[in-house]
Amino acid sequence: MIGAVNKHHFLIRRIQTALSGTVLVIGALVTLSPLWLLLINAFKPNTGIVGNPVAMPETWSWEYVVNAAKQLDYFRSIWFTFLITLLSVALIVLISSMAAWILVRHKSKLSTVIFMAFVSAMLIPFQAIMYPLIQLFDGVGLKNMPGLILMYGGFGLSMSMFLYHGFVKGVPLGVEEAAFIDGAGVYRMFFMIVMPLIQPITVTVIIINAMWIWNDYLLPFLVIGNSDNKTLVLALYFARILAGQYGNPWQLIFPSVLITIVPIIIVFLFLQKYIVKGISAGAIKA
Amino acid sequence: MIRKNQSIYQTWFWPFVLPAMLFFLAVIVVPFVVGVFNSFVGWRGSYYFIPALKQRAAHPFQAWVGLANYRAAFADERFTRALWYTVRYTLVAVVSINIVSLALALLVNKISGWLSGLLRTVFFLPNMLGGLALGYIFQFIFQIIFTDMIFGPDGLIHIEALRYMTQDSVKALFALVMLSTWQQAGYMMLIYIAGLNAIPQDYYEAASIDGSSGFHTFRKITVPMLMPSFTIVFFMTLSGSFKLLDQNVALTDGNFDTRLIAYQILRTVRDTNPPDYGKAQAQAVIFFIIVAVISLSQVYFTKKKEIEA
Repeated sequence: MIGAVNKHHFLIRRIQTALSGTVLVIGALVTLSPLWLLLINAFKPNTGIVGNPVAMPETWSWEYVVNAAKQLDYFRSIWFTFLITLLSVALIVLISSMAAWILVRHKSKLSTVIFMAFVSAMLIPFQAIMYPLIQLFDGVGLKNMPGLILMYGGFGLSMSMFLYHGFVKGVPLGVEEAAFIDGAGVYRMFFMIVMPLIQPITVTVIIINAMWIWNDYLLPFLVIGNSDNKTLVLALYFARILAGQYGNPWQLIFPSVLITIVPIIIVFLFLQKYIVKGISAGAIKA
Repeated sequence: MIRKNQSIYQTWFWPFVLPAMLFFLAVIVVPFVVGVFNSFVGWRGSYYFIPALKQRAAHPFQAWVGLANYRAAFADERFTRALWYTVRYTLVAVVSINIVSLALALLVNKISGWLSGLLRTVFFLPNMLGGLALGYIFQFIFQIIFTDMIFGPDGLIHIEALRYMTQDSVKALFALVMLSTWQQAGYMMLIYIAGLNAIPQDYYEAASIDGSSGFHTFRKITVPMLMPSFTIVFFMTLSGSFKLLDQNVALTDGNFDTRLIAYQILRTVRDTNPPDYGKAQAQAVIFFIIVAVISLSQVYFTKKKEIEA
């Protein structure tokens, strides 16, 4: 009796797995298809793209990619975006980890109020702040790249502090107390002991912030606009507008989008294990 | 010993918290307060303005207009249309993303080994890509691939409803939903997977011993235990959809009556000359209130369900 039930169960499981796998693989292919489309069409002339979008290029000519790179001032834009992202993320990690940690350790009503204030700011849509913010920073001469970094520092706080706060709560006091007994100074203890302990959530914070800052359009648009140094997304936007005056220049759009995406994909392929793990861990903590 | 440590944390409280607070004040609090103030005055961006006297104000407080900006905001047809469009879009998008990501999570959870990791990676990949770039790709997909290749008269099957999706208000809504689902389902799937993995196996074993059918188990065990994940995903998709911008700009640039509210607020200042920043700011404050109310009530209700479960 029991044996029959088990075998039945086993078979059902097998079928379920096979079915799920098939559906998922199809889904995965569908998910990847736009990217495949992007790839093959980045090497075709306009006629080839519009004529037969799903066909492989007759000749894989690099001229469109090269032209796109020129239009986007590619290497300059990448470097610029990289710098902004790096400095902003470093800033966010530093100040949010420090603040979140002390808010957890120092238990008081003030700590709770301050934390709530930080988190509730997540509800404020950017539009409600953007005009006064730009005006303010312009007034102190910060409507430029350094100002942009400072702004990202402020905007990344809410989410990052939320993540750090939740994680630090799970870190036992014992290690810190031991360090204090040994006479360690606060800064030493924080950077040498606490930070390594909360490394998993730091990874999550870095990934989440780097992703949205790298891909951000609105803030750079308002702060930097159409100046010589542009972020990659901004370069794409302005190149598109410039070329798009005479109809859709697909042979510029496709390679431009491709080279905009390639750096992200490369980073993703290398770090995907950490990225997926980081997002999942952040989800659990939340 | 504990008292000693508490005092260490107390001594160092301000040095550790102050940097974050300063940034917070400078970048968020002060602009927000100024913004709220500006929504009650005649504001032209670079100077303050007294509409009744049609002259510049020497002092910001002279330009006070009370609720005039708010009335103008609601009277602005483009604003109310964008608002309504955003509400409809959000409803469809939230449902779509949640169903797809939950389905993906349930299916992926049945797979193990290297295929599972690979699938998760593939489904998450779209989330890494920027909204603007994606919008341009999908613009092509909807304008050429859908319109001519697949659903056109010469295509696979002729479905008129799926053609010219970026050039019609209603169709573009669904186009945008497809784009957003493609981009976000992977991320939400990861959250659901984390939630599913947190459900103790004992529950399922007990259920199967009691002879519970698959669907019944799903309803009575999986769904209640997934409520925390549901809260998060719901929160993120709800507020995210309401605030959507980059994809809106790239897919249709708001043409053919497809402006979402975020883009509309951006364009309000360009719609009049001289630019009416006061009205735009009032719209932004209204936007904030709506987002806050929706998000808070959503979290409240789903948290309640969490506790009940």
